[in-house]
Amino acid sequence: MNAKIMNRSELIYHIIAIVTLAIIIFLFWNFSTDKPHVEGEITSDLAVDDTSSLIDRYLYRMIPILCGAGLFSIVIALYLEEWLTQTTWQYRIIERYIVILAKVPSLVYGIFAVYFIVFHSQKVLNYPLLLIAILLVMPVTIRSTQKAIQSVDISVREAAYALGATKLRMIADNVLPNAFPLIVAGICTAISRILAIVALIVIISNWINSSNIFTIPKSAVVLISSAVIASIFSSILDYKQVT
Amino acid sequence: MDTINYSIETENLSLWYGDFQALIDVSVKIPTGKITSLIGPSGCGKTTLLRCFNRVNERYGNVTTKGEIKILGKNIYDQDVSLLELRKTVGMVFQRPNPLPISVYENVLFGLRIHSPFRSLTRTQTDEIVEDALTSVFLWDDLKDKLKTRATTLQLEQQQKLCIARLLPLKPQVILMDEPCSALDAKGTLAVEELMSVLAGTYTFLIVTHNMAQAKRVSNECIYMFLGELIEHRETQALFETPEHPKTADYVQMRYG
Repeated sequence: MNAKIMNRSELIYHIIAIVTLAIIIFLFWNFSTDKPHVEGEITSDLAVDDTSSLIDRYLYRMIPILCGAGLFSIVIALYLEEWLTQTTWQYRIIERYIVILAKVPSLVYGIFAVYFIVFHSQKVLNYPLLLIAILLVMPVTIRSTQKAIQSVDISVREAAYALGATKLRMIADNVLPNAFPLIVAGICTAISRILAIVALIVIISNWINSSNIFTIPKSAVVLISSAVIASIFSSILDYKQVT
Repeated sequence: MDTINYSIETENLSLWYGDFQALIDVSVKIPTGKITSLIGPSGCGKTTLLRCFNRVNERYGNVTTKGEIKILGKNIYDQDVSLLELRKTVGMVFQRPNPLPISVYENVLFGLRIHSPFRSLTRTQTDEIVEDALTSVFLWDDLKDKLKTRATTLQLEQQQKLCIARLLPLKPQVILMDEPCSALDAKGTLAVEELMSVLAGTYTFLIVTHNMAQAKRVSNECIYMFLGELIEHRETQALFETPEHPKTADYVQMRYG
């Protein structure tokens, strides 16, 4: 009986999360496509654009945003795991958002990114970057940080508490150093996803600008290789922590 | 005057985890400077009782406590009691060695740094403190060249001794031990038991153990608990040889448990 009630309430939390996310994305879409633009502007803009300028304009601008998103994610994960009681509705709602967003395939975000960055490349916009950071980086990093925090042995926490440590002290001295490899692994996974999407943007942008659609730009190869390396590094950290 | 003889006193202590009552009207007096062991079958409330004495239980939500606990004559639930001070006075060693994932040196100083003003300890002082603490637990000779080693890489026996050593700089009055030898081999167990015998007198030890031979060997007094109730509390030899309560007799004569 309890399990049934639990499942129903879990389902309700999931539905609430999906509906609100859909509303947010709809509003965002309307907002982003609402601005006046001249017919044919997009193609003319792309004509003067090239791959390297795209990377210059977006990738470098994204670095501070990504760093901020990464740090913010760690703070959110800490708040969820250390302060918010897991049985509260607030925890469950936030948890659902994060789970749903983390499970969305990167390709979906990639389509968003291509739309905003390649086809709206007239000027550098901050909000798509922020949206990518929030949707792509934060859920993955929050999830991995949560798992990392949960992986810290309860006996270590108890040891610190029994010696008189406060919660903040315990987190700073015990939880974060222990969880650090898994947190880094999560950040690497997020970086890998971002690099893959940037590679996608570069390739599509190149197809639009170049007459030969079969050539893949060097920068895309570098980005894909970096994504694979980041992925492997993340797996190694994960494996090392587990073993 | 009575409180000088007893480091820990409880009066009608009851504890609930949600709806489940884990301790039922426990009244006990733990003598100062002696080793008292808590024995009983699994789930009888030994560890719960132990954890009440430094209020570690409160970390888990859904815990309700009733009754009185006095440590060195002071009710630990009084408004003016500082949790930090309480945990300084009442040290705890856990079932599994749980050194912090930092160096041996910093492990020994961890508690002291929490209770000392920032940067109030000089390097010379800390060196002395670490040497004294490790010498007290017979670890100095083994670890004097490994002070910067990560404590989690030590042998289990060394880790458990280190867990005791890190309490000593805080000068606790009472040391609670929750099955401290359960993760150790015979040699490690012997080493920890010897250490307890040496330190008893200076500190009051309360030890939870499933090992009745260990309770017999190390403790001066013994408490038998069953289903959250304190059944019998006597001198160890008397409790094992001439138990007064039939339940105690059943347990110490290994008819169950």
